[in-house]
Amino acid sequence: MGPSTKEVEPSGHRVVYVAHPSSGLGRSNFPIECHVVDNKIVRCLPIRLPESVRLYEIRTSRGTFTRPRKEVQMPLAYSWKRRIHCADRVAYPLLRADWSPDDPRPQSRGRSRFVRISWDQAVDIVVSQLKKIRDRYGSMESVLVQADGHGQSGYLQTLRFWGHYLFEQMHDRLGWGWWLQQMRNPDSWEGYYYGAKHVWGFEESLGEPWQDAVWDDVLENTEMVLFSGNDPEATGFGMSGSIATIMTRWLKQAGIKIVAISPDLNYAGAVCADKWIPLKPNTDAALYLAVAWVWIAEGLYDRDYVATHTVGFEQFKEHVLGRDDELPKTTQWAEKITGVPAHTITALAREWARRRTTLSVYFGGPKIRGTMSHLVGRLEAYVMAMQGIGKPGRQFLRVGAPSFDKKALAQVPRYPAVDKTGVPFNPVLEYAIGRAPKSPVFVPRTLVADAVLNPPVSWRGSTAALADSEDQFKAYQFPPAPDHPGIKMIWNENGNQVGSWTHGRRWIDALRHAGLEFIVGVHPWLENDQLFSDLILPAQTAFEHEDLIAVRRSEILALFYQERAIEPVGEARSDYEIHRLIAQALGIGSAFPPAQEWLKRDYEQTFAFRQLGVSWEEFKRRRFVIYDCPSWQEWVEIKKQHGYGEREGGLAWFWKAGQGLQTPSGKIEFVSQRILQHAPDDRERPPLAQWIEHAELSTSAKARRYPLLVVANHPRLRFHVQGDDIDWLREMWKIKGPDGFLYEPCRIHRSDAAARAIAHGDIVMVYNDRGKVLFAACLSERIIPGAVYTEHGARMDLIEVEGEIIDRGGDINLITPSPAEKYQPGERVRIPEMNVSGFLVEVEKVDIGKLLANARPHRAGAAPA
Amino acid sequence: MAKKRMFINLRECTGCGLCQIACKDEHVGNGYLPWSAPQPDTGQFWIKVHCQERGQIPKVAVTYTPLLCVHCENAPCMKVCPDQAIARTEEGLVWISPEKCSGCRLCQPACPYDAIYFNERLNVAQKCTLCAHRIGKGQLPRCADLCPRDAILFADEDDALLEQLRPEAEALHAEYGTRPRVEYVGLPRPFVAGTVVDAARAEVVANVRITARDLFNDREITALTDGFGDFWLRNLEKGHRYAIKAAKEGYQESVVVVVAEEDRNLGEIRLPRKAEAGAALSH
Repeated sequence: MGPSTKEVEPSGHRVVYVAHPSSGLGRSNFPIECHVVDNKIVRCLPIRLPESVRLYEIRTSRGTFTRPRKEVQMPLAYSWKRRIHCADRVAYPLLRADWSPDDPRPQSRGRSRFVRISWDQAVDIVVSQLKKIRDRYGSMESVLVQADGHGQSGYLQTLRFWGHYLFEQMHDRLGWGWWLQQMRNPDSWEGYYYGAKHVWGFEESLGEPWQDAVWDDVLENTEMVLFSGNDPEATGFGMSGSIATIMTRWLKQAGIKIVAISPDLNYAGAVCADKWIPLKPNTDAALYLAVAWVWIAEGLYDRDYVATHTVGFEQFKEHVLGRDDELPKTTQWAEKITGVPAHTITALAREWARRRTTLSVYFGGPKIRGTMSHLVGRLEAYVMAMQGIGKPGRQFLRVGAPSFDKKALAQVPRYPAVDKTGVPFNPVLEYAIGRAPKSPVFVPRTLVADAVLNPPVSWRGSTAALADSEDQFKAYQFPPAPDHPGIKMIWNENGNQVGSWTHGRRWIDALRHAGLEFIVGVHPWLENDQLFSDLILPAQTAFEHEDLIAVRRSEILALFYQERAIEPVGEARSDYEIHRLIAQALGIGSAFPPAQEWLKRDYEQTFAFRQLGVSWEEFKRRRFVIYDCPSWQEWVEIKKQHGYGEREGGLAWFWKAGQGLQTPSGKIEFVSQRILQHAPDDRERPPLAQWIEHAELSTSAKARRYPLLVVANHPRLRFHVQGDDIDWLREMWKIKGPDGFLYEPCRIHRSDAAARAIAHGDIVMVYNDRGKVLFAACLSERIIPGAVYTEHGARMDLIEVEGEIIDRGGDINLITPSPAEKYQPGERVRIPEMNVSGFLVEVEKVDIGKLLANARPHRAGAAPA
Repeated sequence: MAKKRMFINLRECTGCGLCQIACKDEHVGNGYLPWSAPQPDTGQFWIKVHCQERGQIPKVAVTYTPLLCVHCENAPCMKVCPDQAIARTEEGLVWISPEKCSGCRLCQPACPYDAIYFNERLNVAQKCTLCAHRIGKGQLPRCADLCPRDAILFADEDDALLEQLRPEAEALHAEYGTRPRVEYVGLPRPFVAGTVVDAARAEVVANVRITARDLFNDREITALTDGFGDFWLRNLEKGHRYAIKAAKEGYQESVVVVVAEEDRNLGEIRLPRKAEAGAALSH
């Protein structure tokens, strides 16, 4: 018999709360509880909500639903500490060895080594380059500022938007003119933003219906939930933490049938779906048309609702029946396009009509980020209207805790006053997610490569996340005038264009463009785009500074105070402090008060300070305020004040009112009055959404060369591009090639693999005209034949083979289409959309030994020690 | 000291990998003598999640199985250790003392669960300790602590927490005969699934009675097709032969014989209507 485990481990550690590493954008999930001993993070634990915090209850006739006190984040969060001292950590200011102000050698970017310089030197270089731009080109309009990424989730210190704030201060306080603002397009919500908004509005939530008290209704009334590419186990868990998986459990406990509709059987579908309907990528629009056809043919839709709540249905009906184009949208028609058997489409339509059915996404799944996804966004809204969205059990449901979500009430019982001021909003968030660009000189993120390589570019819509729908028809261009110097410098705080946006391979060409004189990066790691910087300013991880943690990505709201867990690594500074330093050197330091001052000021606007009377000092001592939820009785009372019955929620108000949507008619518009007014002849986005063939479908001419369609989902273990270097995650997920390298997996159906003589674990080249990326084949039944499954955000790792650049990191976004491809050169881009899932490739087995024998690394050396 | 037991409920496991990361977080670079020496940065998996893709498109399910040392009551590793370095704690956990281990590596091949790793640098055999350094303090093993759905339950073996699952708990590979203290609920057994279709009408057929008769022992399992025409016959006996009959009033019966060697999607089962079948015959 051995000893008793009563013998205790060494004690004397410090407990520090640290913001979620990667959901970012100025708000956080619940933090990580870090245990620190001797300047080392020894362990990272989940949060347990104290018993003193009152949790909510959702009371239904099917049972009472609540959440556990344990609150867990994605695995990335507990392994983020591996990034503190990893090989590619930038600990000092780094200058590209062969860059000089007079001879920038843009072609060497991404190839040559970096050397360590001092902060004084780094600040001097930045300031002199800015002054040079100002002197030579008259304003900051030649500086492209890329500052809109997720990043780590501190409230102030790790924000990725300070560049915009800094340049706005230069405009306001120095009179240096505007800067070129990169506008973050509505990336994960594309089809709802460019499409569904024209059907039902919901402008503040990017085209997705409000979630007010939605769970009360769903758990009481819904009989079937369609997971349209919804993956609470990946996207939901990453964005919201473990509540996403708990909410899925609620659905099961309530006896609700889950039907997954997606080309891939995703992580949630694989463990909780009762039925999987695989369909060819980005053909959901045809599926919805055929579902509508069944309903019309069999009289299974809600005629009364359609008559009172919608406009333009007759035209849709004519189209579905083929009276306008002699092509009835039958189940047989849709079977050919979608690959879903006609009998399954019929069954889906009948079940959807017969059972109270809710459609569920987090953002929208792979269908919503493809070519012309605005069509499917609208068709989804059409079919939901035909079954009376807002009626009991018939809702649009977002599983997780979405950021833009409501009319007045939270999705679960919360006090509206806490929603309003419980957690502060850092106003600089508006640079990334706002109503309009702050600088009148801007370019959408999907068109930046074209703006560098091939100006002028012109397009419609500012692409601002919260812009009103009218804005989508406004014409913009860059450069704003013909004699404009164009882009000469880049200020890059994102570092992820190659890994999560459109046609990353082309962005590499842009970064090496001869006209680009200087690229400054701000980042903690030497990775992806940052490899192409001329100067890198070393940023900190969240472990290295104090900050506020604004818990707004969970369904329960809270504030935490983040103490510094460990000493800063090398000479790294926080993102805020880096920009503050530059501002001070420019003589505008007063725009950046000491961090504590900023945090205290914003804290003192909150419910915790104003209503609960917790002073800043006391808050820092307590280290958190977690807001109570109302009791069920209180919640029922709150709902009553907002016009909801006890178990009503979601769009019940619209069902009852039949008006009040943010559309010209106030109703659901099958025929968009706004499109009819602004662009009646637009064949790409016609007033009535239809099935429209395009270049990235298996019916296109290109499909003869590139017969497979890529599905690229939000990753489960990374957060977009963040964290792909973490060794614990790599060994869990990647597949070791014969050369010992860990390759990113790519799922391919057995039949497609057999046709290409590909075996499980083989290294394969996934390629199209845009580039070549290596993966390890993973033979699977979880992907429909004709498609391959990948997850975006794998870290780029370029090699050169006989002068050609190939990525062996599995960075699929290198070969995604640019929205400009759909148009003639020089033509205005009508919809600057983002296609990052659903594009054609071929997959081929490679002899990796032979390939590598002729290869050399693209990059001269790793980060200096 | 009460004996401990762990149940891993595979019905709750979504394969998120948090148990594996929790273990790394606790043990990589952290030693807890006398219980454990630090785990190397990579390459050891005191707990890891095995992913099993089951069936064929579109009838596919995934079962995730967290694998770790199962802390056998009849532990083969203990028997082969020449140094008496492998002991049993009062709680019943099997523990390799890093201070006594001589690095002979005999325990590795002795473990039928492949749960023992070897640390070259420290010259010791290592494996899951169920976080022995924590449980004495009343804390959970880190894998159980971080599991977001409490699929991993750990408690005194007579604790009420385990009561509900106890009747279903079973050893992984009970045939090894080592009597593990870590047991599983919901270990996968073969399924057979399919969709019943009225091909003439291009419709699925709901409420078809599916009867699977085990030809080894005549036991029957039944299911009804749902609104999608789907049926799932779960928890079949591996290797048994089943006669699967689809029957509904007004339709001809269909029977297929299947060996439940692995999970099977039978695809579409065509069930012609009786009148139509008759009409076809009369031609």
